[in-house]
Amino acid sequence: MRPALRLALLALGLVAALLLGIRLGAVRLSVREIVDAARGLGDPTTVAIVRGLRLPRSLQAALVGGALAVSGAVFQALLRNPLAEPYILGVSGGAAVGAVGALVTGGVLASAGSVSGAAFAGAIFAILLVFRIAASVGKTLDTRILLLAGVVTGAFFNAVILLALTFADADSFRSAMFWMMGSFSGATWASDATLAAAMLPAVAILVALARPLNLLSVGEETAAYLGTSVERTKLIAYGVASLLTAAAVAAAGVIGFVGLVIPHVIRLLWGGDHRFLIPASLLLGATFLVLADALARTAAAPTELPVGVVTAFVGVPFFVFLLRRRAA
Amino acid sequence: MFSAAIRERTVGRRGAAWVAALALPCALAACGGTGDAKRAVSASPDSAVSVVDDAGHTVTLPHPARRIVSLVPSATETLLALGARGALVGRNDFDKGMGIDSLPSVGGGMDPSLERLVALRPDVVVGWNAGSDPAARQRIEALGIRLFALKTEDTTDVFRAVRSLGALTGRRTSADSLSASMRRGLADVAASVAGKPRPRVFFVVWNDPPMTAGPRTYVAQLIGVAGGTNTFADAARQWPTVSLEEIVRRDPDVVVLPQGEKGAAASIAALRGAPGWRELRAMKDGHAVTVPADLVNRPGPHIAEAARALAAALHPDAASP
Repeated sequence: MRPALRLALLALGLVAALLLGIRLGAVRLSVREIVDAARGLGDPTTVAIVRGLRLPRSLQAALVGGALAVSGAVFQALLRNPLAEPYILGVSGGAAVGAVGALVTGGVLASAGSVSGAAFAGAIFAILLVFRIAASVGKTLDTRILLLAGVVTGAFFNAVILLALTFADADSFRSAMFWMMGSFSGATWASDATLAAAMLPAVAILVALARPLNLLSVGEETAAYLGTSVERTKLIAYGVASLLTAAAVAAAGVIGFVGLVIPHVIRLLWGGDHRFLIPASLLLGATFLVLADALARTAAAPTELPVGVVTAFVGVPFFVFLLRRRAA
Repeated sequence: MFSAAIRERTVGRRGAAWVAALALPCALAACGGTGDAKRAVSASPDSAVSVVDDAGHTVTLPHPARRIVSLVPSATETLLALGARGALVGRNDFDKGMGIDSLPSVGGGMDPSLERLVALRPDVVVGWNAGSDPAARQRIEALGIRLFALKTEDTTDVFRAVRSLGALTGRRTSADSLSASMRRGLADVAASVAGKPRPRVFFVVWNDPPMTAGPRTYVAQLIGVAGGTNTFADAARQWPTVSLEEIVRRDPDVVVLPQGEKGAAASIAALRGAPGWRELRAMKDGHAVTVPADLVNRPGPHIAEAARALAAALHPDAASP
């Protein structure tokens, strides 16, 4: 089974990335210290760094990377558009409106939990709004209409954010900017558990839809001829992929690039069969963000770089290399 | 967008304040704080200290703080002025020119590396009053680190910070004498410009878009002490962004530009040629003046020097106190 072997290889890569992510950081620790600390032994400071910071943070990077790459793969299939990415239906804009709203108005009331909660609520609102607009235009889910509805809704939300920031005080403005750049520094075991619990059923459903997604990416008519219930598949896949994105954004803010590029990397390397593409995107997306975050934490330590900067700086040249190799 | 974020960081650091800028005696009275600072009781090295921070949290330590990381440059300056250099175990990237470059940095004050912070095992971290970002506070406290949050928006806050950092480090006596000398310095500056005409001042926090000090900021209060009045004392916000048209309409007597190596607004020469700015009488008549950015950007122990620099800029003819 070659695809199975490839997945095993990708899983191994993820494990290696996680180990590296836990090993690297602003504070130098030996492997021995890390192993002890992970078991709760040794210096309490080291235990706090390893158990309280690095483990939950690396894990969150993996979960978010996996979630974004999977929803990117699904949106690219559904919209039959190589530029589709997880945020294309306005999810990021809605989430940002929620988070910025909580930061600007909340003041003392805002907490880490309430900001993520507001971001998630904003994302869900955006999803419902986009689907409502699309449904009001036509009876069936027309992908072109959905795409346009997503893009204009996103533009509207951006305007709302800029308006809110114009009137925000300096502290809220800064917090909002930090949130919108995306970061894993707020990761806790609890937030990881929540995200994992949301991801598990979502990824399972999307993997189960792999065959209909294969047919849909060829064309809706073909898919219908071959016995796919097109509307139902589209609705479920859009909904689940959007929810998956919403959960990821609520946890770590808006992190671009991963969801767009990782599925293409898999396609360029090993083809576009969704039965393989979805789990492979999950693993590679996770690996990529774990490594990017490790680099973000160490490159200019103790200053942390925005992870989106690292993903693009490292990812774009690699992607261009892949494209050129493919063309040659 | 990004540069805006960086600038806001600078602005946020200086905070904002109350007290009408020209109400000079009032500003000085407010500087005095709540009045319980006169009793000089020095804490013994082992007695517990308990101090309420600016977020309303009571921070209790079994003994005066011996390991402190400061995320706030003005607080670092205050700790140094109190003679607590030995208790500092870490600094932030913005603690420049204070002679503590050898201390390890934890990164930016708003987004410190939590790993570094934990590794320094501080008794207490002096941080921003994260009113709008309690997530940052939760994150630090979840790691078992005590956070002492400071708000340094007006001069009252500055004097309160001196008092509470003095209490936290068991240096109440030093805090009292520091406050007294700061108050004396401000009074001297005020006396040196007494009776002089009070020019209307436009303070350039940033030039594009123009951002200035509104009321309830220590900058506006220091302008008042230095014998000026704030052109935008009626602003609704503490650090308002104002339109160039409105500046031209109000035509301030003096434009004050903080200048320094980093984070400073454009130079006078650049503004003199810039649209809008070049229409200002102050620009044409050579009444655009600079003050050291590091001095006026830090609401800390050097506010009297900042006021003196402002007074010298506003009243070049006055005898230096």
